Amino acid sequence: MVARRPRLTHWIFAGPATVLFAVFFAYPLGASFYQSFTTTENGHTRWAGLDQYTRMFHDPSFLDSMANTGLILVVQVPVMIALALLLAVLLNQSWLRFRGTWRAVYFLPAVTTLVAYAVVFRVLLKTDGGLVNQAAEAFGFGPVDWLNDPVWARISLIASMTWRWAGYNAVILLAGLQSIGREQYEAAAVDGAGTLTTYTRVILPQLRPVLLFCVITSTIGTLQLFDENYTLTRGGPDDATLTPVLYLYKVGFQQMDFGYAAAIAWVVVAVIAVISFLQFRLFGRDRK
Amino acid sequence: MRRELTRLNRRTLLASAGAAALSAVTGCATGGVSNREAVRLGPGATGPVQGRITAWAWDVAAQALKRMAEKFEARHPGTSIHVRDIGYDNAYDKITVGLRADTGLADLLYIEGQRLPSYIGTFPRGLHDLTPLVRRYAADFDRAAWQTGVSADGKVFALPWDTGPLALFYRRDLFARAGVDPASLKTWDDYVRAGVAIKEKTGSKLLIMDPAENDSLFPSLLQQQGQHWFKDGGKVALDTPAAVRALALIRELGRRDLIRWERGWDGLVTATKEGKVATAPSAAWWSGTLTGEMPELKGRFGVLPLPAFGAGGARTSNNGGSSLCIPAQSENPRLAWAFTRFLLTDKDNLVSMLRREGLFPAYLPALKDPYLRRPQPYYGGQRAWQVFADLAPHIPPVEYTRDGPKAADIAQKAVTAAGMRGADPERELRSAAKQLAGATGRKEAEAAHSGARDSAHKRLRRGARPATATPAARGGRPGAAPSRLVPPKRA
Repeated sequence: MVARRPRLTHWIFAGPATVLFAVFFAYPLGASFYQSFTTTENGHTRWAGLDQYTRMFHDPSFLDSMANTGLILVVQVPVMIALALLLAVLLNQSWLRFRGTWRAVYFLPAVTTLVAYAVVFRVLLKTDGGLVNQAAEAFGFGPVDWLNDPVWARISLIASMTWRWAGYNAVILLAGLQSIGREQYEAAAVDGAGTLTTYTRVILPQLRPVLLFCVITSTIGTLQLFDENYTLTRGGPDDATLTPVLYLYKVGFQQMDFGYAAAIAWVVVAVIAVISFLQFRLFGRDRK
Repeated sequence: MRRELTRLNRRTLLASAGAAALSAVTGCATGGVSNREAVRLGPGATGPVQGRITAWAWDVAAQALKRMAEKFEARHPGTSIHVRDIGYDNAYDKITVGLRADTGLADLLYIEGQRLPSYIGTFPRGLHDLTPLVRRYAADFDRAAWQTGVSADGKVFALPWDTGPLALFYRRDLFARAGVDPASLKTWDDYVRAGVAIKEKTGSKLLIMDPAENDSLFPSLLQQQGQHWFKDGGKVALDTPAAVRALALIRELGRRDLIRWERGWDGLVTATKEGKVATAPSAAWWSGTLTGEMPELKGRFGVLPLPAFGAGGARTSNNGGSSLCIPAQSENPRLAWAFTRFLLTDKDNLVSMLRREGLFPAYLPALKDPYLRRPQPYYGGQRAWQVFADLAPHIPPVEYTRDGPKAADIAQKAVTAAGMRGADPERELRSAAKQLAGATGRKEAEAAHSGARDSAHKRLRRGARPATATPAARGGRPGAAPSRLVPPKRA
């Protein structure tokens, strides 16, 4: 069919989306990019070149926030994906009763509102009288300062993120598992493979694209982490749970250093782009 | 995808940051109204006030505004004042975005004293200059509170409402059980000694601190010694002997296990209610929380002047306090000002807000009201308000700058490190001072440690900001402020 000149109808259909995109995405993106090269001084905005970007490399708080993110990335993402995979395999078993209920239950944390989630975790992790510490003390462990000690605060953050997102990833992986036909398991069994071999040699390789999806979205989520540590610890104590997005919020909204906040946002974008690209290259390589 | 739901939050956050950048791109100044003729507000404007305004506040301040708005409306027919309780948690985000975007704010804003200098410094054209209107009141207001609303060049942008003179709230019963005489607490050393005895006898710790937010004890200890985050015309003052003394005290309290760490306001209130600590070095406004949230503890509390750093040191400081200001974007600033004056320069109204909402007035004539001399049953018959009224004139006025929030954030690390982990105060403060100097492009007040610092930080400076870091600084500077509005020093 020969392409025709765009007609009014085309624009009527494309118009709302184009306008919304331009106003709410393209414009703020461009504006914040511009802003990252400026500085505000006595109420006047001034060009600052790359100053805001070079500043980051000497800013201990920013470097701490990147280190924290690195730690979460290395510890939390693999643990959570492994857990999600285990859950998905269990939820996929034909002998499991109330499967629908279990799936819903594991998915629920991901759709819980932030406020409820924060309140519940704060109550659970309270230093004295908190449910977790009551349980710990019943087993003879002293009360742990879950949210006020730098090491435990990191552990609490990682645990709460895992609680919130493992089920979500499990449901995605479950969808992947369900696209693998029963005959594959049977064929593997006929060839003499045990359960473990079946999973490691037959099922997991086929699950690779779905796993890749989970790893990449989890990585992006971790790099953009804000809600969990904002509500649980405000990035404290001692910046132990500070992340770049929480830091940029503090810099922009509390310290009113808008140019620097915009620059941090763009560095986060760049880091996400690079890491996602590497993950694609490393794990997605033998796609045809 | 994994965080699709929550990314929405981030997206709105980033989008609003982007929207805030609008003014930057279109080239109009970010300092507030500039290309729009601000509605005139001055002594020249005459005639009765009328119309409608909105006011933003939270908690007790919002309650007080609502109550007073009815009274004002009755006295001025044809006016309507709509008070919105915007809640503390996002209040400053709302105000910041509104000032930055130059639209969407209320006509009257309630802002805490420690936040005010950073708004005035960042948005010098965002608020109405009240100088010609408030000149005549300068001598009637608490000097330290007044200073929070004065810009570097001596303009007044806000009228103080309440102040937070600091005293030591203590539990009479716990002190009695430990056999500690409250009157013996004259210095912070006495305080630590008493704390050890109380903990031994009653098991209660001495005070509550927040590990993540720092707008309480440490800056108050600085102000008690006559400085804040910055001094000498905007120089970083985190590495001064006064700061080291303050942090050494916090470390000592931590080392002896006298600090109970609690996150957030709720943690503070709950632990106090449960009697987990014997004292609270806190401001007058804390009284409202005690009487409001823990009426069952009636008769248990007493109030003492704050322990001093050494004999003869100041027995008080300041924490919090707030002001009212009128954004330049307001379309009815005359009504906003009339209401402000009605609220904040009327002795009876201020006493009524002290009585009902616990807001301790910055307007000094109100402190002479007989109500303050009444014994209070909640404090076991003690004349508690009189203690604060006597302390208020002695709050050391300090220098504020727009970088206060940044300083608070950076100092927080040093405070938790020393208080929780017993880190060396001097070393922690040295690195905090260095970080703050780097982040703000300011010099350090005492260059005792190294001379090479300035050059190392030149590259980090935030654009040309240092160019404006002329000695007058961005904050008000008591004594040196080029303004006749600074009230004379009171004895």
